[in-house]
Amino acid sequence: MILAVAGGKGGVGKTTLAYNVAAACDAVVVDADLGMADLPAGRGPDLHDVLAGAAAPLETLRAGPVDIVPCGRTLAGARAADLRRLEAAVTAIERARGTVVVDCPAGRRSDAGVPLAVADACLLVVSPRAFALADAIRTRELARELDAGLVGCAVNRVTASPPTEAIADALGAPVSVVPADPRVGRSVTGERPVVDAAPDSAAADAVRDLARRVPAE
Amino acid sequence: MELSWDVDRAGDVSLVRGRVYNEGDVPRRVRVESRFDAPVLPPRRGGVPASGWDDSGATLRLDSGAHRAFGFAVRAPPVDPPVEVAEAVPLDPAADTEPSAVPTTAALRRLGEHRPPRAAVIGETDEPDRVTDSDAGDTADDALDSSGPDGSKCERSDRARSPTESDGWAAAVDSRLDAVEARIDRAERLTDADVATATDVVADADGIAALSGLDDRVAADAERLREVSERAAELAARAEATDAPIAALERLA
Repeated sequence: MILAVAGGKGGVGKTTLAYNVAAACDAVVVDADLGMADLPAGRGPDLHDVLAGAAAPLETLRAGPVDIVPCGRTLAGARAADLRRLEAAVTAIERARGTVVVDCPAGRRSDAGVPLAVADACLLVVSPRAFALADAIRTRELARELDAGLVGCAVNRVTASPPTEAIADALGAPVSVVPADPRVGRSVTGERPVVDAAPDSAAADAVRDLARRVPAE
Repeated sequence: MELSWDVDRAGDVSLVRGRVYNEGDVPRRVRVESRFDAPVLPPRRGGVPASGWDDSGATLRLDSGAHRAFGFAVRAPPVDPPVEVAEAVPLDPAADTEPSAVPTTAALRRLGEHRPPRAAVIGETDEPDRVTDSDAGDTADDALDSSGPDGSKCERSDRARSPTESDGWAAAVDSRLDAVEARIDRAERLTDADVATATDVVADADGIAALSGLDDRVAADAERLREVSERAAELAARAEATDAPIAALERLA
């Protein structure tokens, strides 16, 4: 199962949710944000090397509470990356490890589209603000055209009660509300997924709810 | 089928423009083939050839009475005629259009280029677009490849390596060491120096401000260099001790 975590807009918490949902699904998370990687870096080869044809996908796996395929931090690496290699790379990791969660970049360029084309399903992340929804709708359209079924939508960092029904209607997918919780924000850099760090929190409940929507195969 | 063409030369490349016309009453699938003695360089987007193109030409769908323009480049001297219609198969008008491409290809064709512009990259030490001398690159890689069974790089494919990997790291190490050497030179000249030498060094460095913290940095250099040297020596010893039976494995595979 390959799940793309997308959202169109930057800064809505795609990486954080990709990491935490991967923890709840016992999956590997791949940092596919070629130009602005966010998941912790490794010391060995990374996704840039794989997409440049210079490393095998499985040798990039970095063990941790959630196993990560890190992405390089250089523009040169982003420029050398050939997205035609992404499908084989992600599929190889899927064969070896089961579920793979791909953290997609923002925008609608090919680096955002190819992970959706490669994925079996996608999860959209939106912020509870209206302007973020427009980007999410565009990304939903893109996912539909590229055949990545939308399994759910996370409204992230919610403080007041958001218009979940309107969002669910606009995106045509079940909505999970992830309340603002500093432990979620810290989970990626601290490598402490919220389902482990605070299993009884509302945020952990929401993450598990999202993970349950991910089909096993 | 009607076919017309025009060929331009640019350097050692021939640029072919053409047009096909389906004068029949039914849609046809037309195969236009290059007659050049070299592979076609088809129109591309995001590194992916446009729909229907391959090394030897293009397969196009033309409705009845439709014109279609095409163009490609080829690294070969012009020939006459440059293109020919190899096949023109009538299609069922009710049938669907061109077959859909694999998803990655479709996404790359449709969506904008993701790569940062070249201008944004120049200046980084490991510029990947730099043309590298392949022999030199291979030698460096061979040394790297024998780095042992745990060497994360030993499974890498032989060709198609990124230059980042091949000689970028060596250049980066050299330039770091050069910088460290310059600092150490300066510190050496200041060690037990008389007033005249010290004045010279300060003048060379454009004032005492530029030398501030030099002692700390050189001390840090010493520590880091010792670590690197120990690690490098250890890796070299391990590399020499390995004997990976790749040839035998390849024979068995």
